[in-house]
Amino acid sequence: MSPETLQKKFLKGLTEQFPDILGKLREYVPGQLIAVLSRDELPKVTKYAVNQLGARFVITVATDQRDKTGDFGISYILAFDEEKQFLVLHSNLPADDPRIESVTPDVPAANWAEREAYDMVGIVPEGHPDPRRLVLPDDFPAGIHPLRKEYEYNTRFPSEPQNAPPRMPPPEGSTVVPLGPFYPTLEEPAYFRLFLDGERVVGSDYRGFYNHRAVEKLGDSELNYNQVPFVAQQICGICGQVHSCAYVEAVERACEIETPMRAKYIRTILLELERIHSHLLWVGLAGHIIAFDTVLMQLWRIREPVMWLMERVTGNRKHYSSNLVGGVRFDITLEAAEDIRRVLDKVEEEFKAVVDAVLIDTSLMARLKDVGILTEENARALGAVGPTARGSNVAIDCRVDHPYAAYDQLDVQKQVQDGCDCWARTLVRLYEVFESIRLVRKALDQMPGGPIMAKIDGSLPADRIGLCSVEAARGESHHYVRTGDNNRPYRWRLRAPTYPNLQAVGCMIQGVNLADVPICIGSYDPCFSCTERVETLDVNTNEIRVYTREELQELSRRKTLG
Amino acid sequence: MFKAKLKEAIICFGAGRVTLKYPFEPSPVPPKFRGKIEFDARKCIACGGCANVCPPRCIVIEDMGEVAKITFNLDRCIQCARCYEVCPEKAIWPTDEFETATPDKSDLTSEMIVWMSSCQRCGRCFETDNAIDKFESKRWRGRGPGEANKHGIFPVKPPIDFTLPGSLVREPEGEQVQ
Repeated sequence: MSPETLQKKFLKGLTEQFPDILGKLREYVPGQLIAVLSRDELPKVTKYAVNQLGARFVITVATDQRDKTGDFGISYILAFDEEKQFLVLHSNLPADDPRIESVTPDVPAANWAEREAYDMVGIVPEGHPDPRRLVLPDDFPAGIHPLRKEYEYNTRFPSEPQNAPPRMPPPEGSTVVPLGPFYPTLEEPAYFRLFLDGERVVGSDYRGFYNHRAVEKLGDSELNYNQVPFVAQQICGICGQVHSCAYVEAVERACEIETPMRAKYIRTILLELERIHSHLLWVGLAGHIIAFDTVLMQLWRIREPVMWLMERVTGNRKHYSSNLVGGVRFDITLEAAEDIRRVLDKVEEEFKAVVDAVLIDTSLMARLKDVGILTEENARALGAVGPTARGSNVAIDCRVDHPYAAYDQLDVQKQVQDGCDCWARTLVRLYEVFESIRLVRKALDQMPGGPIMAKIDGSLPADRIGLCSVEAARGESHHYVRTGDNNRPYRWRLRAPTYPNLQAVGCMIQGVNLADVPICIGSYDPCFSCTERVETLDVNTNEIRVYTREELQELSRRKTLG
Repeated sequence: MFKAKLKEAIICFGAGRVTLKYPFEPSPVPPKFRGKIEFDARKCIACGGCANVCPPRCIVIEDMGEVAKITFNLDRCIQCARCYEVCPEKAIWPTDEFETATPDKSDLTSEMIVWMSSCQRCGRCFETDNAIDKFESKRWRGRGPGEANKHGIFPVKPPIDFTLPGSLVREPEGEQVQ
């Protein structure tokens, strides 16, 4: 461990409570501590770190490592944002009895992560308050955990419809209103059941993960290091660069590859341009959700030149395909830099005019202020990230807390609001656009010359762990890579920012009117399909059936009433 | 309230017409655009570099001894142009074409058969700067599940100056080597 790490406050707190943990901590990569604990210790340390030391729960990584060590592994990843530190608590569980005490009763943010660890690898979270099936399809056979190595990525399983998870019973006297399975304003698959008392929401239930794409399984089994970034960028239609960047940085950290500084700057510029167009898109969508379509039309008009700019700079509007392990594939030339500056000047001017109008528009405020309250306490407890957290006065931003690419040289200003409502989240995004424009200009000015790709000789070392958090427009996107033999990742785990934010929705829409639910859910910039990246299983037979309109109506009625 | 609406009205009126006339007018793509890939059977040496790096595995190469069959399933293509990047002969490249929608998937599938001979130019056929790109993809030549190549570098087989009928004509070796 480096001397700086030893000085850190959280470590003192941790060693006071658990004196023998100090000998188990290893720091292979700066900023990432790894401790291998017994299965009894792990939940205790996790609870203490989160509830007493203020750690933020990031994700769990369940690994089927039976081919290597004959057991299962589970890692709980925690982040100490103020101290710029990740802590990985790892435990090996025997193959015939993979149980671990659930931390969800004390750490609510771990709820989905533990359920997913059971669904995908079969680690049983003992004492979990809500152990229903989360990510697997309703008719997936029971007792099969598809991320285990014995299943191929294209294994087909029989359909067993009796395994559908039970639905949450609505509170006494309330009405159930379904919202989904296609979310009405974002055209993405998500199914909310809202429990209403009159017009007010008194509870909700979520079932999602309809859009499985098996990327983790493919990363574990099929793809090699340089194929994964291109699959990673397909995870999201907006933050593709974020995912591919997080993955390559995780591998680079694990394998100690020295990425040239110019490549890091290019990544940074592309990431910030991506944030600009994503925020412009979101503000437009928010206007659309509350039926203020002038905002939608004008914001998307302003955004379009950014998309054309990206096409000129990278060759594609959205999937830039720029990242490889060790660097980037193309340079930003002088002409491209001029082009970027010119477009940004125009965007800044036009966006400023819109912001000036929007900030004093009382009709907008009436719909957004004091709607969808997520208190600071709840935002912390549920592990909210990104503008959702920053709108609730939780000052976390990975660009500052866990710097990646070239952000440590750019002096990023966190945009924080304390309104805790939809309006605060809107303000955070509006101001972040200006901040991003400033960062792109600064990065273009500071960008050093030199190569854009590191020289990599020979194979990459196996069994190293690399973590990287990248601040997407919607929050922290976290990637975990464990390197493997034969030059391919052994385990690649990713967590999209919507994953923790979606868990905070139940809290956010509690007590609001039904008409405000779409903007509440919209206000954290959800990306349902990014959250759903686990296992693809075509359980249907090849039979094709065309439903008539009457049949469909009947089906949907039955589904709604049942 | 009134002031905000006035400002918004000014923005709307100032915007003018922004929509493009596409598809009634052509919409040119920028120079770096990566469109549908095109290939030249006369240049290909069937080294398999493209198939190895292709992330969605839309390029598949089958080693059939005398010949190598390369299949392009462009309906899977994600237009990353990695194939172009690694190709030592630049026998494959992205074009400007983006209007690839079709009701028939076979419009996007093509096959190329390249005759192989014993090795004459080893070492030149598939060399990249990036060591990772030499790592062999799992099952890239249709191996059984779980089998991984132990060599680390491709089994490179350069082609023979052999003439095939039709579009698959290979020009004599001498003309190709630069």
